[in-house]
Amino acid sequence: MTKKEVILTKLENIVGQDFVSNKPEDLFIYSQDSGTSLPRPLDYVIMPRTVEQVQSIVRLANEEKIPIVPMGGGMTLSGLTIPVKGGIVVDMKRMDRIIKINEMSRYALIEAGVTSGKLKSYLQRKFPNLQASIPDAPPSITIAGNVLIHGSGFLSQKYGDHGDTINGLEVVLPNGELARLGSCAVSDFWFTRGPIPDLIGLFVSSFGTLGIATKLSIKLYPKPKLRDLVVGVFDDINAIPDLVLNLTHSELVEDILLAIQDKPNWMKGHIFALVFINGNTEEELNRKNEALKKIYQGVKGRQMKLPPRMKDFFLEKPIFYSTTADFRKGGGFEYVGAMLPLKKIPEALTKGSLISSKHGIIPTMGCRVIGKGHNILFFISYAFNRADPKDIQNARNALEDTNKAVLDMGGIPWKAELNAQKLILDKLDDKYKKLFKSIRSSLDPNGIMNPGNWEIG
Amino acid sequence: MTSEAELDWKDIIHRCFRCGYCKFTYDYNDFNCPSYKKHRFETYSTGGRLWLIYGVINGDLQWSENLANVLYSCPTCGNCMENCRFEKFNFLLVDMIEAARAEATKSGFCPEKQKVLVERATNPEMWNPYGEPNSDNEALKKEYDLPDEAEWVYFIGCTSNYRQQNLRDATLRLLKKTGIDFTLVDEHCCTSPMLRTGQVDCASDFMNYNIARIKNAGASKVVTSCAGCYRTLLKDYEKFGADLGFEVYHTGELIKKLLNDGKIKIASNYDKVITYHDPCHLGRHMDMYEVPREVIKQIPGIKFVEMERIRENAWCCGAGGGVKIGYPDWALEISKERLEEAKETGAAVLTSMCPFCKTNLSDANETFNMGFEVLDLIEILDQLDIEILE
Repeated sequence: MTKKEVILTKLENIVGQDFVSNKPEDLFIYSQDSGTSLPRPLDYVIMPRTVEQVQSIVRLANEEKIPIVPMGGGMTLSGLTIPVKGGIVVDMKRMDRIIKINEMSRYALIEAGVTSGKLKSYLQRKFPNLQASIPDAPPSITIAGNVLIHGSGFLSQKYGDHGDTINGLEVVLPNGELARLGSCAVSDFWFTRGPIPDLIGLFVSSFGTLGIATKLSIKLYPKPKLRDLVVGVFDDINAIPDLVLNLTHSELVEDILLAIQDKPNWMKGHIFALVFINGNTEEELNRKNEALKKIYQGVKGRQMKLPPRMKDFFLEKPIFYSTTADFRKGGGFEYVGAMLPLKKIPEALTKGSLISSKHGIIPTMGCRVIGKGHNILFFISYAFNRADPKDIQNARNALEDTNKAVLDMGGIPWKAELNAQKLILDKLDDKYKKLFKSIRSSLDPNGIMNPGNWEIG
Repeated sequence: MTSEAELDWKDIIHRCFRCGYCKFTYDYNDFNCPSYKKHRFETYSTGGRLWLIYGVINGDLQWSENLANVLYSCPTCGNCMENCRFEKFNFLLVDMIEAARAEATKSGFCPEKQKVLVERATNPEMWNPYGEPNSDNEALKKEYDLPDEAEWVYFIGCTSNYRQQNLRDATLRLLKKTGIDFTLVDEHCCTSPMLRTGQVDCASDFMNYNIARIKNAGASKVVTSCAGCYRTLLKDYEKFGADLGFEVYHTGELIKKLLNDGKIKIASNYDKVITYHDPCHLGRHMDMYEVPREVIKQIPGIKFVEMERIRENAWCCGAGGGVKIGYPDWALEISKERLEEAKETGAAVLTSMCPFCKTNLSDANETFNMGFEVLDLIEILDQLDIEILE
């Protein structure tokens, strides 16, 4: 038996033959995602069902010094679950139990493979008064994958990004030991991160380099009976920061999305604010609607009436802009998501438009306001044709230019692909790097956890 | 598939984003793709399959036994067609998988078990995928006193003729009761098993043969009790350029028409609790959801209860697309999940309108001792008094 066959047998002994593979067609699928990253080879893909199985896989990887890459929905588009140095992809989606909903403390305790679709549907059926903040992504993404990359969703304006919604985390550390972080380390309640040293943040946006999450508790929120969308149209990009300030200060709104795109033609030259409001009565919604009109007028904007069908489309959660993903009639789509300070929105819109035009891509940009405007998730989409290598390279180049521009503006690329990670590391404070490297090498001396990501020399 | 249609799918297959909607039920509560639910690797989702097929097209992947196995581990139930967010794919996904199976077959990678279907069907002693001696149906014509020529042909279909004779006989009795002018022909396999498993070489010959037989019988209408035959006759024959020259009805449509036109009336009670399983080939493939329900609702005394996943959102029985012969244990597992869902309704009778669904659901019912009476809706109607009104 070759060494690879021996390891395959050992992996089969952990999860059973049906849930580990080194077959070319399985490796082909897991070697790439829908973004612009080039395919990268891997050796095995495995689907554990239990925490103990995850621990055994990690221990084996440690013994054999094989790289290991955890994967949720695999939809980051930035190649974060494609191994850089080969090894084992651990697809977590068989760990998909919703363990508990605590109605009183408003949290959901779930396994790491629960999809956003499953949680959303479960809450609608069993706990209609509660909701989670769901991202604008397909329902096949996992909650764990999303919160662990500082994801955001339709409640993030009110409650912060999804990293902030984590109450507790269970992780398999690189040595195979199991750690519980947050109040669950002290009691049976997964209701808060403190008041003990908060280690959860270490596992957010570290892209699986410090461990594999197996369970998590996320915050749930009251679900008002009614929800509506009040669209505003603006012509002056410099008015946008004031618009956001006024909207967030009013405490009237649930979600604020800004959209700027050159196609269809009627959208060109305008900034559209998709502002979602909620309430328990029509009166309440009407009152908020009227107040928003005044806010729009205050920054020289106007309300835009949407046809009911269009409004229903936007009110559906989660929204997935499948047409955006296919702008180039090629099924490829990646975007730079960037965390930016509010005041930089006008500059980002201008630079984003220029970069898009430079690369012959129709400018398609947007923002989500996070945490009352504390942070803006800015995105520029670059659709490409998967059947055209030149078009893919063009989108890659546009991403690179955008990442540089974002960093120049004082922002940080979100869920950064390998190239963006390098750009961030170039700007990252040396002491931060030293601290992170020290934590990482202490937890993972063999360097098995998603190596190649956040690689500090 | 015609060459024009083939060009269409090869031109757009790369546009699958692999967003994953294809795996789910309508409300994302569960996975509704039997293949993904079983295997769980992304490879076994429809998106995964499209990426594999595209990989073969652009030379990144070579055909292999394993790759063919991924493509054949799909009951072609069409849940993906209902849920895909890319509208150009909505009517093409199953066609693309079947076309890729045809490519696999051309390259010598059709799995052995599925090959048997066509080896039997093309055997001049058989002409059916079950390996039974061919029935020219002359004995049935005599038994039921059927003419050589008639307005209608009852196209029995191989599953009813060789595996579900109860359904065949119930259909014959019911058609006699309704008084319509019908006959039988010496039919050969409708080609559904060939098309679904990508073994298309001799399909046109079978189609032309069946059409000629039906025309020779002087028929202007065909009725079939098989969802697979129905889909194939109505949809696939046209794709292959065949000129039918007759109308095609499912038995459910015919009964509904006779009831609604006031030509027949159900004159006795059926005092049982029943639930209905939507066959994929009738439902998602042909958009026929209301017809059987409307017939059920006209049965006096019946208590009709619905399962959770119905109509476009129905869970597949697991028999289609060559899965029953290729992966018999898995096919039963899929049916077991349907039976468990039916159990939750409190129904004693599980009905459907497809002999292939009936076969697989019955097999699972027996294997897992689920305690249902599994009957085709025609078999239920056959138990009742039918009054001719005109």
